[in-house]
Parts: sequence; structure tokens; C-alpha cells
Amino acid sequence: MSAEVKTLKREGSTLAEKIYFVEIFKGMATTFGHFWRNLLDNSNLYVRHYPEVEPEIPVRWRGRHRLTSHDDGTVKCVACFMCQTNCPAECISIEAGERLDDKAEKMPVKFNIDLLECIYCGYCVEACPLDAIRMDTGIYSVTDNNRESFVLGLEDLLKTPGAFSEEEYKKGGA
Amino acid sequence: MSLLDILLVAIRVAFAAFVPLCFIAVCVWMERRGAGFFQDRAGPNRANIFGFRAAGLVQNLADGAKLFFKEDVISDHIQHKFYFVIAPLIVFFTAVVSFAVVPFADTLVLNGKSYVMQGIPIDIGILWFLALAGFSVYGIILAGWSSTNKYGLLGSLRSTAQVISYEIPMGLAIVSLLVVYGTVNLNGMAQYQGQLLFGFIPMWGIILQPVGFLIFVIAAFAETNRTPFDLAEGESEIVAGFHIEYSAMKFAIFFMGEYIAMFASSAIIVTLYFGGYQIPFLATDTLINYAKPVAFLLMLGLPAGMYFFAGWIRKNNVSHYPRENDPRVYEGNIYIKGFWGLVILLELILFAILLCKSGGAAAHIFVVLLQICTFLMKVTMMIFVYIWVRWTLPRFRYDQLQKIGWQVLLPAALLNIFITSAFVVALS
Amino acid sequence: MAEMIKLFVNGNEVEVEAGKNLIDAIGAVGIEIPHLCYHPALGADGNCRMCLVGLEEGGPPLVAACKTPAAEGMKVLLDADHIKKIQHDVLEFQLINHPVDCPVCDQAGECSLQDYYMTYDGQKSRMTVPQVTKSKKMDFGCGVIHDQERCVLCGRCVRFCRQITKTGELGIVNRTDTARVAIFPGRPLDNRYAVNVVDLCPVGAMTSADFRFKQRVWFMKKERGVCHGCSKGCNITIDHNREKDQDDLIYRFRPLFNEQINGYFICDEGRLSYRDENENRLTEARLSKTTMSLDKAVTAGLKEIKRAEGIVILISPDCSLEQMVSVKSLAEELGATLSGFSDGYIKKGDGDDYLIQDDKAANRAGLAALNIDSSQTGFEEALAKAGLLINFNNDLSLFYDESSLKKLFKEKRVIGVTSRNTKLFQMANLVIPVASFTEYSGSIISCDNILQTFNRAITKNDTLVDICEVASLFGGPLKTDRDRYDELKKIVVSLNDFDPDTIPATGLKLT
Repeated sequence: MSAEVKTLKREGSTLAEKIYFVEIFKGMATTFGHFWRNLLDNSNLYVRHYPEVEPEIPVRWRGRHRLTSHDDGTVKCVACFMCQTNCPAECISIEAGERLDDKAEKMPVKFNIDLLECIYCGYCVEACPLDAIRMDTGIYSVTDNNRESFVLGLEDLLKTPGAFSEEEYKKGGA
Repeated sequence: MSLLDILLVAIRVAFAAFVPLCFIAVCVWMERRGAGFFQDRAGPNRANIFGFRAAGLVQNLADGAKLFFKEDVISDHIQHKFYFVIAPLIVFFTAVVSFAVVPFADTLVLNGKSYVMQGIPIDIGILWFLALAGFSVYGIILAGWSSTNKYGLLGSLRSTAQVISYEIPMGLAIVSLLVVYGTVNLNGMAQYQGQLLFGFIPMWGIILQPVGFLIFVIAAFAETNRTPFDLAEGESEIVAGFHIEYSAMKFAIFFMGEYIAMFASSAIIVTLYFGGYQIPFLATDTLINYAKPVAFLLMLGLPAGMYFFAGWIRKNNVSHYPRENDPRVYEGNIYIKGFWGLVILLELILFAILLCKSGGAAAHIFVVLLQICTFLMKVTMMIFVYIWVRWTLPRFRYDQLQKIGWQVLLPAALLNIFITSAFVVALS
Repeated sequence: MAEMIKLFVNGNEVEVEAGKNLIDAIGAVGIEIPHLCYHPALGADGNCRMCLVGLEEGGPPLVAACKTPAAEGMKVLLDADHIKKIQHDVLEFQLINHPVDCPVCDQAGECSLQDYYMTYDGQKSRMTVPQVTKSKKMDFGCGVIHDQERCVLCGRCVRFCRQITKTGELGIVNRTDTARVAIFPGRPLDNRYAVNVVDLCPVGAMTSADFRFKQRVWFMKKERGVCHGCSKGCNITIDHNREKDQDDLIYRFRPLFNEQINGYFICDEGRLSYRDENENRLTEARLSKTTMSLDKAVTAGLKEIKRAEGIVILISPDCSLEQMVSVKSLAEELGATLSGFSDGYIKKGDGDDYLIQDDKAANRAGLAALNIDSSQTGFEEALAKAGLLINFNNDLSLFYDESSLKKLFKEKRVIGVTSRNTKLFQMANLVIPVASFTEYSGSIISCDNILQTFNRAITKNDTLVDICEVASLFGGPLKTDRDRYDELKKIVVSLNDFDPDTIPATGLKLT
């Protein structure tokens, strides 16, 4: 049980470093190097030319939510409130009701996600026992010009399709 | 007073008042695009008018319009509303006025009368600047105090303590400079720096007073509240410090005042240590005598410089992603044409000077214009240094700040005075 | 104090009460023995086998704790390997046919089976055959919904109907894995305590139609309260929750054990009385038709009082003792006649010999204790002479119909201080909203002469004032809680030995 001890060299103790000006000028030379390179040729900047160039979205990327449905189009969600319970931002509000199609006892009558409060942590997806909520819509920019439209209802969540195939999604480790 | 007198007074005052204001835009633009390039990103380059982005300068207009139309909030909890409103004005006003004593060209002699090329033709020069620079801190102190906000108060407390620590080394650095120059008149200092040391080195302040220069520059950074001395703002720990309660135009006035202060202090540094308006090896008299050759050289140099500038625009003013009929190429071509037009105009002016009588009024005016350009170029470079330092160095810790002020700068400045005086006495 | 005996649990000596079975005796000192079918009110049945414990030295090695009385020197084994295996095996047996869809089940969070599984079992099912399917969502009547699949056949509900209500609607039919709890054909649950089977059910087999799917139990905050549905004063747990951006709402009342009042149960009517706390509440003060702030309403009220020639103050028998003394002292201050007339609250023949009482007023004994006249003649005579009636939350419409109310209020000014937005108070000239009984602290005296205190359970977004406060705003001399309590002490002698916070939680029997 011998711990490996690694002694790190302590910087900043030599005279040249203590005078400070030398190091400042070194640092300024470094930053000026960047400035000069970019000034002469700005094609190598580390920037993405958003919105013209959109980022590539991987399968595991957590985007806007959606609710999945059974093959016959009925909602998979059984209104168990696990997502709402786990949501650290308290952005999900569900209202449960009797379900009459024999798939389960309960179904959501209302399922609202307030995207302005959502922190896109993905806990709801983790918590869901039925894979009913996913964040695989691949919608990168959620924008609008009024607050109300950021509250997604059951309909909105159901009609958004997933951006990836089922195999890809499963492979994504979700 | 002749009409010429009145005209020159108007020109001088206008120059002293409006050039700093115009330089706000230049400073902000340099700061933001410069910061971008220092950090390998682009900086603001999207705002445009009909597709013309002017390398990002249009962003300034957008920012200005936004700040102008924002709601101007004065919170109810603020008890001293008068001080609250007056504080940004103090910062702004003192910054503008402190530039008024800086000579931007050598004394112009026309028809046997001489005109001092500075906003306010007074002899106290550097003392005026010191006084106003000290006074501008009142704005920050007042702002922080009248905000009735703990962050604001902390910011202004920091600012107060910082000013006390850094005014002293600054003054002492100037003292040693005064020993060298033997005058407080800034124009006198600039003229002094037109001489040559050992016949080949320009006698600039930085050559004569390297230690004094470092002390003065550090103190000037502190005085203008720029990184690494912007503890009064300290976004990370006291949110925004003294201007936390300010919004819209009141904030903008603080913001502009800060940039004018940066411009003014750059101008002072240039005047004290970089020869002011002097072109190296070409003192005013020499320039007047050799106006025609200089003009001729410029006529050759301008198109050459423009050729490379056009190449740079063509290379960099393009979209760096696949795009059909890139509008930026079109935009760049128009800029290039515009600049070529400007070059042709300048060539014509220079040609006119070639045709004029040598050593006459035209030569005098040409020299003044040349010196103004030199001066502004030097100031712009100094402003670049300000920006460069800001994006290189992190903010000091407060104890480090005080330690440097009292334990390093103050003794160094005193020692510098002693050594300088010894030299001056020995040499005279 | 009962006789204490000493016995050993897992080798540690504990002191327990004599005369109880092992579950209760050991449970009282904080050591839990898992059990499903046993309930202290229903006695031991011994069918679940969950409570099997080991005994060292003497007696059989394995006993059902529910059927074994605690005895001196007993050496009970709970954490031995074979006991753990029994608990684990019993749970595995119970879970053979139990659908493990806890997220959907309403009981999740307060389910014994779930808790025990997490504590004692925690293994995946080893079953490979499909589970037996039974009926789900059966309406048993009286707002009880039954799910036969979730049932563990502990028989608590069956025994409740047989032993407590003596109606016997429920039974267990068939045997082995087709056994199920059922009602007799065409004979649904029909008693006034039926929803108690929902509380009794250790799993999610019995659910209340009223509460079903409304809330998950872990969202709810639980406060102690006293039911104001009748003069019995049953203890309740108030389950409430403030959902995001909404008001603090009560979702259900559950019985809270109190031996000297209601035992383990409450009636269905009292259980549903939470609705009155949420719905049809008066929230804004109103002068004729215009709504206004409380300050303005009080000013208007003071003007009315000043102008009035002869005042009658009517107080509700539901008010707490504190409110009654406040209003009483206000009446003395104003020189008004105070009446507690509330014959309408008594429903003759509605009560039974168990919990339900004829008298639907929570604190009529308090009226009597404070010597407040509650005769009809006294009230009507006083009102006939007076010009202003200040009604503190007394629902006169229970006694008078609309036309006689109109006759009664003819050419009278009426100030209503109420929590309910009913027709009666719409007739008033000025109404001031006040807190209802879940929103204030106070004490009431039940029909059995037991004084109980309760604390504020609910804090609404827009908090309403208490009647005590309205009384003091109208000029009543009792300004603080301390004043009221001191005044109360003068009247209720038994309170002399107590402070508000030292009154026993289970109630104080007045002599």
C-alpha cells in the first residue's frame, strides 16, 4: 500500500521570475503571437460560424425533450411522476388521469415542460422506467420571442420525432 | 484677433474635445476585436449596414443605440440621487479635460505669430493632468458610495485605497522626469525630446528614464482602472463594483469616460516618454526645411503600403465556410476601391505641397499635419499596449496591489529621483 | 403507567410494556418487526407470516410475533440468518403474483410491501411462469377502488368490515393463487367508514377514488390537524402540497391515531371535508359589490359599527376557543349582544355510536364553557332590536331558508367575517375573508369534553387573517395570543396548569 508520491516543481521562485517583468513580457509575447497570427490570417480562428454552420449533434447529446409513443400511437408515459420527482429544476408538471386503453392504469392528462427552467440535465430520461421521455430530438436552438411558447404541452412533446434511428439511440448508451 | 486666430483656436479646441470622443469608438473596436484575436476568436463582426460591417465598427453603433434607448433606472433605495447622477459625469468630464493640455503638434508659426497646438494653452501642463487624474477618482468613489450597495461601496473603497497608493509613485516618477526636462510644460518636454542623444539616438523619455517609465506606466494603468488593476470593478468577486447600480446612458458615460481616460493617459505617456508628436530624427525645423522630400517619399510609400493593405483585405474579408457568391468578397472589393480613392486624394494633396514654396505656410501646415498623424499613431499604439496588457495579465489580488504600490514602486521611484538628480548635477 | 417487563432483542436488553404482543411491545421502543396482516385495531390474524421471529431458550423456536405476548426474560431473535431468510422467502412468495409496477401504483412511497422489499429482500424475481392476472380497477362502492392483482390477501379490509363496522361487505373468495378479496354480487361497500380500508391496506390494492392519481405521496407535506366536521374532534393528518406556481392545496385527510378520541379511524364524511378548505373560499373583502383590501374593509367595518344602533355579534360554534374569547371581549367592548345560536348545525339522528355525532359543530362545548348564549329566542330578540349584525363565520343558512333569512336581515346592516363564499355571506353588506381551520392555530373542546390544540397546517399564497385578529382590528381588547390564552385561563379552569405548548398533543380531558 505504498502511495506513489510525485514531487512537483514549484514555479515562481527564481530571481527572474520574482522580478516579474521578465515573465510579464514573456506572457505578452505569447499573446501577441496569437494576435499577430490571427490579424494576418483570420481563417484559423477557433470559432464555429454559427448560425451558418451548425454543430454536428451526436446521439448522446441532450436536446429538447419528446415523449415516445407505442406503435399504435398511444403515449407510452404512465404518469408515474418519476421525471417530475427527479427534476432538479422543477420544470416538469404532470397531471395524471385514468387510462382506458388497457396499456396501463394511468396516463398523463397534462404534461408540461417549461424549457426556460429546464437545465437539460437528462435526469428525467434516466428516471423514466418506460423510456417514455427522451432528449433525442436533436433540436439545437430552442428559440422564440415569447415566454408562453417555451412551455411544451403533451401534444408538442408527442409530435416531435426523434432525430436518430432506434439502433443508433440504443448504441448511444442512453 | 484676426480671423486666422479665431479659426485656429476653434480647430485646437475642436481637436482636443472631439478626438478623444472619436477615439472611444476606435478604442472599443480595438479592444473587442483585439481581445478576439488575442484569444483566437473573431470578436464582433456580424453587425452591418447593408452588408457593410466596417471590420466590426458597426457593432459600436449598435451598442451605442442600445445603450441610448435602454431604460435608465435609478433605484428607489438610492438616497443621494444628485451624487448618483453626477458621478459618471465627473469621470467623463475630467477624462476629456485632462487631454486638453497635451500638445498634438509643435507650435505652429504662421505670419510670424505662433500658435500652441493644444486645447488649453497653459504652461502648467503635467500638473493639470495629475490634478484631473486624481479628481476623476472622485467620480468612482461617489458612484460606489451613492449606489447604497455593498458591492458598489466595496468597489469605491478599493478604488480610493488604490488611488492613494499609486498617485504617489506616479508623481515621483514625474518628478524625476522634471529633473531631466527642466520644465512642466508638455510642449517644452516634447520639444526637448526632439533632440538626439550622442547624435544618433532620439532623446525620448523612455531612453533617459527607463525606470521612471515603468513606474509611470504601471501607475497610469492603475489610475485608469484597467486590468490588472481593475479591482474597483472586479466582476468575479464584487459583481461590477462601483457601477453595479448604473444602467443605460449613465453606465455608457462611465464606460466612455474610462476609454477617454485611457486615451488621455496614453497621450500623456506618449508625450512624456515617446517624444510626443516628434518624428524620430526629424525635429520640427528639419521637417520644415525638408518638407518637399518628405512629401515625395510619402507619395512613393503610400501606394506601396496600400497595395499590401488591399491584399490583406482581400485575404481576410471572406467567409470561412462554403458560401455561394460570398457577399464579403464584394464588400472587401468596395473597401479596397474606397481606400485607393483615399490614397489618390492624399497623393494629390502631397503633390500640391511639392508645388508650393518651400519653407512657406504650406510647409508649416504640412508639418503640423504630419506631426498630428505621428502623435495619433503613437497614441493608438499605446492604447494597443493597454489592450494587450489587459488580455494577457489577470487581475491582481488586493494585497498584491498594495504591496506593489508601497513596497516596490514607491522605493523604486525615490531611488530613481536620487540617481537622476545625481546624474543631472554631475553632468551640468 | 403499565407494568414494565424486561426482555432481550438480538441479545440487547430492552424494557417494554407488559400485556402487548411482540410487534407492539418492541415496536414501541423503536425496533420494527415487519408485518402485513397485523393491525393493532384489528388484532392478530397470522396469515402473512412476515412477523415470524426466533425465540431462544424455551418455547418453540419460531413464533409469529403478532400472536405472541411479550413475556419477562424472552430472548427474541430478529437478525439471525434463518429469520432473515424467512423474511426474504415470505416476501419472495408475496411477490410471485404481485405486479412490480411501483411507479404507477398510488401506494408507492407509503407501501409496506415496497419498504419491506427494499429492506429485507432486494432481489430479482426468480419466476419464469407468467403472473396470474386478476381484475383491476374494481369499484367497491363508497369511493373505494380495488385492484386484485396488487392484493396480498392480508385480510385487514375484510376484518375491518366485520369487526369495526360490523357490516361485513368484504370477503376473501377462492383459494391459493386465485384467492381474492371481493364483495358479494350486487352488495357493494355500504358503510360510513368504508374508505378506512384504503388506509388499512398495506399495499396499493385499495385506493380511494377521491385521491387516486391526484398526487404522489412523496410530494405531500404532512401536518397534524383536528377534523372540524363534527363535535367528535377526530385527529387527522393533513396531506397538502404546494405545486409549482400554485396555491397550497390539501389533497386528503387521513386518520391520525388518538386513543382517547378516534382510535385509528375517521368517517368518510370528515375525510372528504378537506374539499371545503380548497374550494369556494372567500379571498377578497367586499363592500356591497366592490372588492377591496383588508385595511379598507376594516375601516368600512369600523364606520358601520360607529353608526349602528345596537349590535348583535353572532359567532360560529366551529370557532376555536381563542377566537371565541376574542369575539366575546369585542362584544363586551362594543356593548353588543353576543350569540352563539347555531341550531342548524345539529342534524338529528345522523350520528351513530362510534365516531359520527349529531352535532356538526366542532366547538359547541366551547360556547358553553364561555357562557355564550346560543338560544334561538335570545338571538332573534336581540337581532330584532339591533341595527347591525356581525356574523363571525356562523352558517345561518343551515337553519333558515332564504326567504326567512331575507326577512331576518330586513333593514339591518350585516358584516360577514367568513372563510366561505356562500349565499348567506353574499347577502351581507360587508364581508371580510378569514382563515379556515387548517390555516390557524387554536384549541377546541370536543363533545367528550376533551380540549385539543392544533397548529396552522396550511400557508396560502395570500394569507388570510384569523378571526382573533379581525376582532382586535374592530377594537377588541385582546391583541396577542398571550392575552387570549390568559383570558381563556380565567374561564377554563383546567388550563391553569398548562401553557399553550404544554397541553398534551393527544388532548386534555376537562373535568
